Amino acid sequence: MAAKLLYFVLFIAAAVSADDEPVLARLLVSKQVLNKYLVENMDILVKYTLFNVGSAPAVEVKLVDNGFHPDVFTVVGGQLTAEIDRIAPQTNVSHVVTVRSNKYGYFNFSSAEVTYKASEDATDVQYSISSAPGEGAIVAFKDYDRKFSSHILDWAAFAVMTLPSLAIPFGLWYSSKSKYEKLSKPKKGH
Amino acid sequence: MKLIYFTFLIVPAALLCLGSGNILARAEEDELDDVVDIEGEDNQVVGDDALVDDDESVVKSSQDIDTTILFTKPVPSLGDLTFDIQAGYPVEFFVGFINKGSVDYVVESMEASFRYPMDYTYYIQNFTALPYNREVKPKQEATFAYSFIPNEAFAGRPFGLNVQLNYRDASGNAYQEAVYNQTLNIVEVSEGLDGETFFLYVFLGAGGVLALVAGQQALASLARRRSPRSVSQPVETGTASEVDYDWLPKEIVNQLSKKISQDAEAVAARKESKEISRRRLRSRLKL
Repeated sequence: MAAKLLYFVLFIAAAVSADDEPVLARLLVSKQVLNKYLVENMDILVKYTLFNVGSAPAVEVKLVDNGFHPDVFTVVGGQLTAEIDRIAPQTNVSHVVTVRSNKYGYFNFSSAEVTYKASEDATDVQYSISSAPGEGAIVAFKDYDRKFSSHILDWAAFAVMTLPSLAIPFGLWYSSKSKYEKLSKPKKGH
Repeated sequence: MKLIYFTFLIVPAALLCLGSGNILARAEEDELDDVVDIEGEDNQVVGDDALVDDDESVVKSSQDIDTTILFTKPVPSLGDLTFDIQAGYPVEFFVGFINKGSVDYVVESMEASFRYPMDYTYYIQNFTALPYNREVKPKQEATFAYSFIPNEAFAGRPFGLNVQLNYRDASGNAYQEAVYNQTLNIVEVSEGLDGETFFLYVFLGAGGVLALVAGQQALASLARRRSPRSVSQPVETGTASEVDYDWLPKEIVNQLSKKISQDAEAVAARKESKEISRRRLRSRLKL
């Protein structure tokens, strides 16, 4: 009887100490374009966020984005590759890059690639693909400018063009006013 | 005897305190083994297992795929799978997809839907089925982003949110996996000052002013009743017949007096003619 109970206790103890899940890191990588308007030759902000949803830290995390061809996109801020030594479990890391495109049109924002090791003593490198923002339209600068610029020159030209329609009636009124003022003056002077 | 007490009372208590609690009984979804032989397979989902029950037409998830979901907006409170989302504001989440198998998988689309909490087969609203068509090779993982906005009309009610991922393997077998299938509440975000509250305060203010005015009127009437006015006003008799014409210019005064005398003559003449006609009538009648 006592022996049976002992076996029972030992069995339960083993079950408790045994791991249900392996302690691994799991990275969810998101790539987001933060701009409201995508315009050629103007800054496009791309934010990469790496979330570690696992229970172990992710080590030797390398992020690289090959989706921006160097002929078309120039990097004006940040880098398209990033290396993070360690991402603790249940934390996230973000990385921002600013690029400029010298062409306009439809562009498919593709995914970035991330490689990492799923735990401190892991040997294999886990390859992960980030989420892709999808297709975006990069608007030509001419169209953007037409909508959003301050149009100072246009307003100045408009003011110059409206001057005749204001100046001619004013001139007529002023000439008649000064004429009648001259007429009324000697009467008073008498 | 004492050993029995020790075993059945102390040991579970110790386990609950010390253990991770994973040994407690919980229900697990039974996943059918759908990984079939690749060679000579046409595009149908066929269950190889003889013990598979009747609903073979229902697609299930693949054993090789592991998915996780992470809500980034709004962020759920720690360790809680059901939480509150705000009506009218976007809800964003990421789904991680890891391919533990040996064949390529293609993730086709992901869709979300609101279901009736008591009956998950009754659809209340379907959200966009977002196509990804992303290939995930063996031992690789991918992340998919999705967002939707719950309608403001649904505020204040619980709904079952079902997020479903559709994917297929290299041999064309289609799979569906419910990545998230929980009931959550949609709450309404009430801004500080809206039109209704503002006008409510205006109305209450006007009511208060009305009460004050009524009170003041009541008090005034009370005072009037207690002490009636002893001083009586002098009776106005109107202007006397003596009219002072000094302020009129002389010509007008002459005109006026002429007019008055003419009127008087006309009236007298009319009276006379009336008398004459009356006398004539009398004389005729008498005759």
